[in-house]
Amino acid sequence: MSNLIGIVNYGIAGNIHSIKKAIEKAGGIAKVINNKKEFSEVSKIVIPGVGSFKDAMQELENDDLLNTLKEEIKHKPTLGICLGMQILSTLGFEYGQSQGLDAIKAEVKPIIVDAKVPHMGFNTLEVISQNVLLRGIENEEFYFMHSFEVVNYTNIISLTDYAGHKFVSSIQKSNIYGVQFHPEKSREAGIKLFKNFVEL
Amino acid sequence: MRTRIIAKLDVKPPYVVKPVHFEGLRKIDFPFKLAQKYYEQGADEVMYIDIVASLYQREILFDEVEKTAHTLFIPFGVGGGIKTIEDMSKLFHIGADKVLLNTYAVQENPSIIDKAAEIFGSQAVVVNIEAKKWDNYWECYTDCGRIQSKKNVLEWVKEVEERGAGEILLQSVDCDGRQRGFDIELSKQVVEAVNIPVVVASGAGKLEDIKELIINAKPSGIAIASLLHYNRYTIRDIKEYLSKNGIEVSQ
Repeated sequence: MSNLIGIVNYGIAGNIHSIKKAIEKAGGIAKVINNKKEFSEVSKIVIPGVGSFKDAMQELENDDLLNTLKEEIKHKPTLGICLGMQILSTLGFEYGQSQGLDAIKAEVKPIIVDAKVPHMGFNTLEVISQNVLLRGIENEEFYFMHSFEVVNYTNIISLTDYAGHKFVSSIQKSNIYGVQFHPEKSREAGIKLFKNFVEL
Repeated sequence: MRTRIIAKLDVKPPYVVKPVHFEGLRKIDFPFKLAQKYYEQGADEVMYIDIVASLYQREILFDEVEKTAHTLFIPFGVGGGIKTIEDMSKLFHIGADKVLLNTYAVQENPSIIDKAAEIFGSQAVVVNIEAKKWDNYWECYTDCGRIQSKKNVLEWVKEVEERGAGEILLQSVDCDGRQRGFDIELSKQVVEAVNIPVVVASGAGKLEDIKELIINAKPSGIAIASLLHYNRYTIRDIKEYLSKNGIEVSQ
């Protein structure tokens, strides 16, 4: 199978361009997936995401990508970024309750903290479990911009502290990875993360 | 939380210019060159504002934006003359991470903020404010500090938060480009009025000005233009200085 990485293109919003550029800088080859047939060409999947949980799931369904994506991520290495990580969860609570991809048992809830929300800016990781995705970049800073967080207790790679509140900043369950931050917006550290994903 | 240090590019295509009081433009360089330079210096973000798009009543020039976004691996905010969801969508597709709204939202249609937040998420919607000080209040100006709106800044910032904006860029018509310090009182009141992050621009003339602002108003970020454009300091210098003074910044 090729070592092509497919970036799922769904909905009106998307920072697909930035992610593709970052994967290429990391030495990988990326292809934007616009319809379900194109999944067969790729060996890895990146789920980007900007917008709300509810809209994202709705768009995946409208674009007829949802069912194929659910099947594909059962066996292909997959990286969810920001909202793309959040929708890997079972349930989301943004603009009402909605079902996620249910690849990781988790729920997505608003950040409750005595500080400004969205949590926006560079922040560090507290690694809970050593993981190949973060190899060599455990002490780097990554860019966050989010108002919701993934609540999970069993698949945590790292936590991040925001104003005394610790939330899940990266997760893994077998072939599925998720990061709450934006590696494509995190300078060289982010490129290194994509390199780790490319080399999986 | 680390205070973000953001490079702000005021663009009158094809050049980054530096207005004084939003007037009297001086050409600096091409936006893509400066963006790359500040990225390499360690900027946490770049903001690109086409300062004449609204005034000339034309669309933002997408090619310039795309070229500037191309080499950046940090968040990139873009504003100037944005009126429609289609414009925003196009900007996100060519590399913007945030859109900055001002004139159209203030003067014509505030509900564009609600719509943008619902579609792109709050984190991607920044409201740009050009505040003009009067005796006992600040008024929102638009079109690069030229046009009045009769809107009170402190009321407007609460309204835009309510409508779903995820961030505020606060500029001061009075202090912009003069390099004589920020309007600290304005900054403090805006930061306290809302629960969303506030980035303050306009007025940095020396490193102490930035420190003063952060200590007194506690903004989430500072947007710098003149100090960088005239090579007085690099982003690296600013971060080192703040670090030494006990202010947390990213590396």
